[in-house]
Amino acid sequence: MRNLFTFILSLVGFFAISQNKQILYGFDDIPQSLMLNPGSKVSQNKHYGIPFLSQIHFNGGSSGVSVYDIFKDGNDNINDRITQKLFEMKNTDFFTATQQLELINFGWRARNEIYFSGGIYQEFDFIAYFPKDLAILAWEGNRDYLDYQFDLGEISTTGDFLTVYHFGLNKQITDKLTVGARLKLYSSMFSYRSVNNSGTFTTRLGSESSENIYEHSIENADVSVETSGYVSLRDLDGASQVTSEILGRAFFGGNIGVGVDFGFTYNINNAWTLTASALDVGAIFHTKDVESYRAHGDYTLDGINLIFPPLSEGDPTFPYYDDLEDEIEREIPIDTLNNSYTQFRPAKINAGISYGFGRFSVSGECDCMNMGGDELHKHNVGLQFYSIFRPKGPQMAGTLFYHRRITDYLSAKATYTVDSYSSSNVGLGVSAALGNVNLYIAADNLLRYSNLAKAKSVSLQLGLNIIIDEE
Amino acid sequence: MNKTIFHSIFMVCVCLLISACVKDTDFDQAEDIALTPIVELDLIYFNLRADQFYDTINSNPVLTVTDTTEIKFLDDSSLQESLKRAEFYFKFTNSIPRDFQVDFQFLSETNDTTYVAGTSVSEGIPTAPIITEYKEVVEGDDILRLTQSNRVVVSVTIPSSDENLEGTLNLKSKTTYFLEY
Repeated sequence: MRNLFTFILSLVGFFAISQNKQILYGFDDIPQSLMLNPGSKVSQNKHYGIPFLSQIHFNGGSSGVSVYDIFKDGNDNINDRITQKLFEMKNTDFFTATQQLELINFGWRARNEIYFSGGIYQEFDFIAYFPKDLAILAWEGNRDYLDYQFDLGEISTTGDFLTVYHFGLNKQITDKLTVGARLKLYSSMFSYRSVNNSGTFTTRLGSESSENIYEHSIENADVSVETSGYVSLRDLDGASQVTSEILGRAFFGGNIGVGVDFGFTYNINNAWTLTASALDVGAIFHTKDVESYRAHGDYTLDGINLIFPPLSEGDPTFPYYDDLEDEIEREIPIDTLNNSYTQFRPAKINAGISYGFGRFSVSGECDCMNMGGDELHKHNVGLQFYSIFRPKGPQMAGTLFYHRRITDYLSAKATYTVDSYSSSNVGLGVSAALGNVNLYIAADNLLRYSNLAKAKSVSLQLGLNIIIDEE
Repeated sequence: MNKTIFHSIFMVCVCLLISACVKDTDFDQAEDIALTPIVELDLIYFNLRADQFYDTINSNPVLTVTDTTEIKFLDDSSLQESLKRAEFYFKFTNSIPRDFQVDFQFLSETNDTTYVAGTSVSEGIPTAPIITEYKEVVEGDDILRLTQSNRVVVSVTIPSSDENLEGTLNLKSKTTYFLEY
């Protein structure tokens, strides 16, 4: 129990709103910005991501608590700190972890000026809301909470491990408008969710007419966990078998889903640009290897009622305890179901408006950053909005950014983001062209890098691409 | 030019990766994390009628009645480790005009008596039941003995009885478990 608790607490710190890549969004020098807005402006003619290195994305956070809150060096007791945090946090606080690894990413401009791009990436996405009532029950017990209704509905968590195959089109339709769309096929390797739960647990002091001192009641319980890709793993032996089974599913061996991304860039005038995109609008259809568990019903526990039956020497009495267990199982049965279910992907919305100024004039022979021929600005400032749909509603973030083209080969973007985790998230991304090789790195919460323990979220993306601008 | 670029990238990487650290924290404190829930849970209850102390067929008084129930979670290994203190609370409501001796004998899987407790219950009046409360606190080494049992035998002894005896002996009980994980 304690180990589990420590493990969860350490996850909190080491793993920004999950999946928000505010630095990469609109950072057109980096080919992966196409993954955030299929309708972004593409300046290169071809790009190849270096396999397994084109995008490594890692993101994690907890909205209510940081590692420092719990493990700070101090004279006060760690258990007092946990108790304090437990009561400060809300049931809408959450822990998230997202990781993405691009296996392949490529793109090319066809003769009809359409920029085609495609690739494969693997994604892990996890969110768990803080089940405050159950945490209090586990931490303090029920003695000081008589008549309090512990809410079982606070359990809300999902986890997905999948491979995404994608192919997209991007075209500048008019001088002002560029649009794009991307089709995605999801191959789910493992998935679970426990959402839309309900029910309460209450311990009440019984009245004179009650059977016993207390009445422990579970009322209107309906708690379920849906899993896909779990049953066949359960029977496997050892980590190597599990690994090979999961990897097998990466290539459409598991459950399949489909989704789309779409977006646009609109140049309002020479200075102002509006962009927006919707990502992962789709669902995974879990039909194979599905197992769900559902517990539902009402039950009031009074303890064990002794009857004192008249027995002869050696006769066994009633199996009170077994009968009680059977009664609970009858009143709150745990059903195992194999129903297929559809899981919507967490859809994401990005939008941005930017104002560019200062003409960027390139030196040397090659206008490497501007093969499209549009006027480039030295400076761009603007606002971005991000939203992701999660089980308990959308999580949103707002970003103020400054993008600067420093040299022909180097550009940088600084961001200031306000989200569920903090209102002081400063991020920085750098994209550099070394010959044909594009290298980028982006990280947020830089103010916290001097002490990561104080950060409630950490996000990091880095990658290597080969960009070819020659016709 | 390349030198500047490399320099810049190098600096950024240095900033991001090397300056990033975790300070002023002490993860050894994880050892000290202790969940200390205090759990209130009903135990047993019964309603013994006065006629259960008299065998009308053979016209014999039955001076002691007993019953047994398993309490399977008591000898669970995780409870053995985490239980620090247990407070039993018994509330008798007696309307039988006799006093009683009530004994609780905790037995292990192998039928060994690991823990015993008991109390006397005050004589009642059929029209005005008398309440007797009894608390038994188990801690220290006794916890080890208690958590080796998985059953309790409840014996209720009456000093004398006859066929005209009236009233009921009611018991309600609960246990407060002081746990530490």
